[in-house]
Amino acid sequence: MIKKLALSLCFLALLFGAPVFAQDDLLKKEEQLFNQFCSHCHGKHMVNPGTSSFDLRKFPKDDKPRFYESVSKGRGDMPAWGDVLFPEELDLLWHYVKSRAGKEPTAFDSSDASDVTESNEPETVLSSLLITPGTLTACLAKNGGVMSSRRSKGGAGLDYQVALALANGMGLTLAVEWYESEQEEESSPVRESYAMLAYGVCDILPGFALYETSLSAFYKTRAALPRWDNRPDTLTREFQVDLQPLSVSDPYARMEMGVVFRTPEFVRPITRVADLEGLHVGVEQGTLAGVLTLRQGSATLTSEATTLNPGPDFLWKMEQGEFDAALVTVGAYDFHKKQNAISTLVLGDYRHSIGFNLSVAMLKSNRDLLDQIDPLINTMIADGTMAALADKSRLTYSEPRQPWVQTRLTMQDIMMRQ
Amino acid sequence: MQVTHLIKSGIASAFALGLFVSEPALAQSAQELIDDASDPSTILTYGMGYGQTRHSPLNAINTDNVSKLRPAWTYSLSDKRGQESFPLLYDGMMYVTTHNATVALDPVSGRQLWKTAVEYPAETPRVACCGIVNRGVAIYEGKVFRTTLDAHVVAMDAKTGEEIWRVKSIDFKAGYSMTVAPLLADGVLIVGISGGEYGIRGYIEGYDPDTGAKLWRTYTIPAPGEEGSETWKDGGDAWKRGGAPAWLTGSYDVELNTVYWGVGNAASWNAGLRPGDNLYTSSILALDPQTGSIKWHYQTSPNDPFDHDGTNELVHATIDGRDVIMQASRNGFFYVLDRATGELIAANKFVDKVNWADSIDLETGRPVDTDVVRGARAGEQVTYWPSAFGGKNWSPTAYNPDSQTVFINAINVGLNYKAVEPQYRPGVFYFGAEFSFDWPEGDRGELRAIDPMTGEVKWSSGVAIPRLGAVLSTAGDLVFTGASTGEFEAFNSATGEKLWEYNTGSGIVGQPVTWEKDGTQYVTVVSGGGAVYALFSGDERLAEVPAGGSVWTFALVE
Repeated sequence: MIKKLALSLCFLALLFGAPVFAQDDLLKKEEQLFNQFCSHCHGKHMVNPGTSSFDLRKFPKDDKPRFYESVSKGRGDMPAWGDVLFPEELDLLWHYVKSRAGKEPTAFDSSDASDVTESNEPETVLSSLLITPGTLTACLAKNGGVMSSRRSKGGAGLDYQVALALANGMGLTLAVEWYESEQEEESSPVRESYAMLAYGVCDILPGFALYETSLSAFYKTRAALPRWDNRPDTLTREFQVDLQPLSVSDPYARMEMGVVFRTPEFVRPITRVADLEGLHVGVEQGTLAGVLTLRQGSATLTSEATTLNPGPDFLWKMEQGEFDAALVTVGAYDFHKKQNAISTLVLGDYRHSIGFNLSVAMLKSNRDLLDQIDPLINTMIADGTMAALADKSRLTYSEPRQPWVQTRLTMQDIMMRQ
Repeated sequence: MQVTHLIKSGIASAFALGLFVSEPALAQSAQELIDDASDPSTILTYGMGYGQTRHSPLNAINTDNVSKLRPAWTYSLSDKRGQESFPLLYDGMMYVTTHNATVALDPVSGRQLWKTAVEYPAETPRVACCGIVNRGVAIYEGKVFRTTLDAHVVAMDAKTGEEIWRVKSIDFKAGYSMTVAPLLADGVLIVGISGGEYGIRGYIEGYDPDTGAKLWRTYTIPAPGEEGSETWKDGGDAWKRGGAPAWLTGSYDVELNTVYWGVGNAASWNAGLRPGDNLYTSSILALDPQTGSIKWHYQTSPNDPFDHDGTNELVHATIDGRDVIMQASRNGFFYVLDRATGELIAANKFVDKVNWADSIDLETGRPVDTDVVRGARAGEQVTYWPSAFGGKNWSPTAYNPDSQTVFINAINVGLNYKAVEPQYRPGVFYFGAEFSFDWPEGDRGELRAIDPMTGEVKWSSGVAIPRLGAVLSTAGDLVFTGASTGEFEAFNSATGEKLWEYNTGSGIVGQPVTWEKDGTQYVTVVSGGGAVYALFSGDERLAEVPAGGSVWTFALVE
């Protein structure tokens, strides 16, 4: 342990102590490690014929988890090195592989380092639940706007921040499986969430909307998996997963709908959608907000409304003057503001009473994770951490509201609720 | 297919029910082992005879008809590691090993008679520096014997493959492994340890073939106070991690009742940290097979900084009436020693470029050092030839006693080298040097025919990628060997002209043998790329040579 600590300190000096280690020395150290641990199968400078051992020059540079997993636990004919390598050495080897043996220099920054603090050993019960012991693996949409988006190092968005905070709070390292949520008719985000969890892509899936039917209707069926970065080539597009029951955490945020006005001149106080009468209203086709606008607006309002395709372009059309007000999800507005530094749009104070609380989903068989996740979430809401994380993600934060789970919406709800 | 299956399961269950009584000892007596080289219907000893000449008196396949050589059968070893097994042949069974199985085949049809898996912990390959290989079995009195990568010695029933005993030689985790084909000499089963790159203390061991009881262990590095320990002058613990593995099978002189065993490189490579000659690293040992005691030794590379591993095979010959052993050493010199006394008779370069020593002093038996080796020991950056691959690597030579010619798969590569402070960690590479290859223009390898006494090159046949397989010589004026790119090849042994080749589908780093059955001569070789060159060279020309082990047997077609 003392040796490990000493190495860690040395490593911290390496990371933050400026010129202790020049780039050449770093490469030299990496090369020594590679020669010592890897070269006899993978070749000097990672050059080998590639006929019986993996050609590391082809290792995906963005797949750090796979590297750590394979080296630590072994893979195929490759023995496990986890009991021999220090974590710091693994970091250096990963950088060596990522930089293609120093031929394609890449910065070595703190995100390459595993957690070098002497963290408490995770509980064994907890470890046995996780796909990778010591790591909390989260599925996040790489195109999830202000909720989640992929960055060259790590990610951004509230769902990402929540996943990171949960991992830290549980004494675990966060790994993210980034997936693409496709806006296709035949794909359903809820079914995809079930499929990823059932297939064991990740331990948790943040951003799961608490809607009654989402919690019951899917698990006796099959669903296709979305694309995610580490999706094996061997999985065909047609592959379907047997879905399994899920458990969900206490909610950490609420997805709400509000009215956006084209410019401050159009802003008016409203208490219901029908109050928008007199403004040229936009309708986002096929969304709940769009349906509510059409059902709850007056006859005049709806007859003069402009209906447009859903997606990021919708609010851009308002920016261009095609309409003056619209009911949209607050997250969509936040994303638009984030993407468009110069914007005249204004979010009014009104919030529709229909909204969805967001929670963290996991397989029901993993619900023991909730013993740790729920208190962490509730603490973060109570002490303002959650609002701060939302702010960091440029998300207009709303605390979750009772009832936690939105019951199935009836036609009456859609007609009447304001 | 189904019939075979039924027959097999019938036999298996019959055994299980105890319906068969095991037959009395099935021979492979000591005398048969002794006579191996002169009986072409069997192959009972590694190297085709205790003297490991790899020369056969068979001449039905010869320079006139070798072009008609075709596969008689091929057998998949279901393994993608390198294949270096020396096949043995006795009583209608051919024995071949891989790192994870032992198989017995019908030598005429190639049909599998039994296959026994070898299991070892998944971490074991960590301690195999240069290829996950096995070099074959020994056979004696109804049993076959092999070693395992995790340093166990195993005895099996030669007829069924059933394990009879299994003994752990040492804990592999500290860098010890075994790839050697055992030697059965004077009724003792002898094995040597691998691990020269892991800071081990090497040894050779003798076992009772009947029971697996360990009879002796001779360390190849003496402990302080023992004879030879004065050659470790660092005054510290260098001897404890000094290397000296013994990973290739020794030879045996029946009349002198002496086993000859090569001992490998010193560890770490940083010679400056272990002043002195460092016995018995890079040495030839003459041993008493009953006790393991050292009768004499000869050191080829004292205080070696270059991984000029001296394990290479020790080939017996009688030259000018004198019984000798011969070694084409990794260090680039071809040594001829008196078999009884160890006296050095001749030592000549067998590759063109050797720059670490000018010559070997025949009076003192010591190399005449150059600035290259002196500089390397002093920590200077040097480029030395031949490289750590050696003037030849592990690949055994053949010796044709009729023409007194040695056939060598030579390598022409240098190494840029600088000694550094090593870090010892159990079971992890312990190089103590940084290095990169100094590649020649053109051919990196050549098959050479040399005069053992003078080093005179009778002919030489270049090859772009060095051959890492063994050579076989026959009385049909042929030498057989295999290319890293997979061609099994036959050369005219007098001229070096290539007469025939056949692509075996993977690289050849194994050992060809020839034998006879009912008047037909066969040639067998195990194919399957791997070995140290493929692993370390980064030679991308091998990228299109697939992995995959198989046994090939060839015969003439009419």
